[in-house]
Amino acid sequence: MKVMKVIVGISLFVMSFTIVHGQDFDKVIHISWDVNMPLSNREWIDETSARGLKAGYHRLIEDKFLAGIELGWATYDKYQPTVTFEYPGGAFTTDYFNYLYSYGLTVSGGYVLPVGKKEKILPYAGLGLGASLHRYTRYYNIYQDMESSWGFLVSPKVGAIIPFGRKIGAMAAVHYDFSTSKQEAIGYNNFSNIGVQVGIVMLSY
Amino acid sequence: MTRYLISVLAVAVFLSGCEPQPGAEELYDQLVVETNFDPAINFNAYTTYSISRDTIGKVSNIRGDDSLIVGNTYARPVAEAVINNLDERGFIRVDRNDDPDLAINVFIVRNLDIQQQLNYPGYYGYPGYYYPGYYGYGSYYYPYVSTYVYNTEVLVIEMIDLKNVVNNQVKVIWNAYLGDVYSAIDARVQSVEGIGQAFRQSPYIQKIAQP
Repeated sequence: MKVMKVIVGISLFVMSFTIVHGQDFDKVIHISWDVNMPLSNREWIDETSARGLKAGYHRLIEDKFLAGIELGWATYDKYQPTVTFEYPGGAFTTDYFNYLYSYGLTVSGGYVLPVGKKEKILPYAGLGLGASLHRYTRYYNIYQDMESSWGFLVSPKVGAIIPFGRKIGAMAAVHYDFSTSKQEAIGYNNFSNIGVQVGIVMLSY
Repeated sequence: MTRYLISVLAVAVFLSGCEPQPGAEELYDQLVVETNFDPAINFNAYTTYSISRDTIGKVSNIRGDDSLIVGNTYARPVAEAVINNLDERGFIRVDRNDDPDLAINVFIVRNLDIQQQLNYPGYYGYPGYYYPGYYGYGSYYYPYVSTYVYNTEVLVIEMIDLKNVVNNQVKVIWNAYLGDVYSAIDARVQSVEGIGQAFRQSPYIQKIAQP
């Protein structure tokens, strides 16, 4: 949570001091650092991850709407201290690391408000729909167990684009991701997370 | 714009292909310890055991690489760790010629996945399986290997019932697998600690003194 607070703080700081130009672009590419907190099955992984990335391409449609695609990647991990598992006829002792590799690809749309030539900050709300891949991996010593599952991904988002040059700007957003990706063997009926992303945007006219 | 797009997406695809893993020092600082036992066995029924004090076997899938490990660097500390744990639980070490109840077999399996590669005549995959004998007690052979796994070493400890030999076959009533020794940061220290853990997670191995 501390990491997320710092990210939000930096974002607000950047927003408050940025000198921007108006919005008259029609294409946006962004690449952003993505910090995520898992919400599902927090017994398996509950730690906020700062290892994430999102990148996307969107076009402005009719002044107010953005449409495009977005790729997302995040890695979550958690260390489990040494534990002994007992079962009929034996026992097994190890410490281990749970890793979750998350990938998403969405077709996304956004609504920009307000849209005007003189606006300094362009807030927007959007929704992405697509597919996700989750790879659940447990590492212990030289050994590893991995399970993968695909799911349908829904990703609403609110954020802002802050142009501070004619062709470049910053962006910040908060997003929630819900995937139907299921891995019942380790307690996942779905996977959801909330994330904060900050990054740069490249604008085209 | 197209150039930017391609560049950004290329970076994104590259990064999204990255799957970071734990560091080696974090992963290899302790051995994984697995123990199995024959639930039908009453360990209190045994009193004496024999074990080589300064020699352990090494089984390898590399032709001609089977050997014995001797000396104070690894073999003796490992054997003594087993001895100390058994003594603490009330068992008595005797010479192999003194008709022990149990034989303790300690060996390293090199380059093998212990879950798949050991082959014993009459092996059923869990304690309770039979050997055709035990060295000095019939036609014992170390297990042979059929599956190749690169660069792993697993320390195996077997407890063999010499008290109830049936048709010249001896039965393994408990075993422990400790891995991976090959990647261990300190193989000797981690093996000794792992042996202690193997016995801690096997509380049924206890000789209760008779009144």
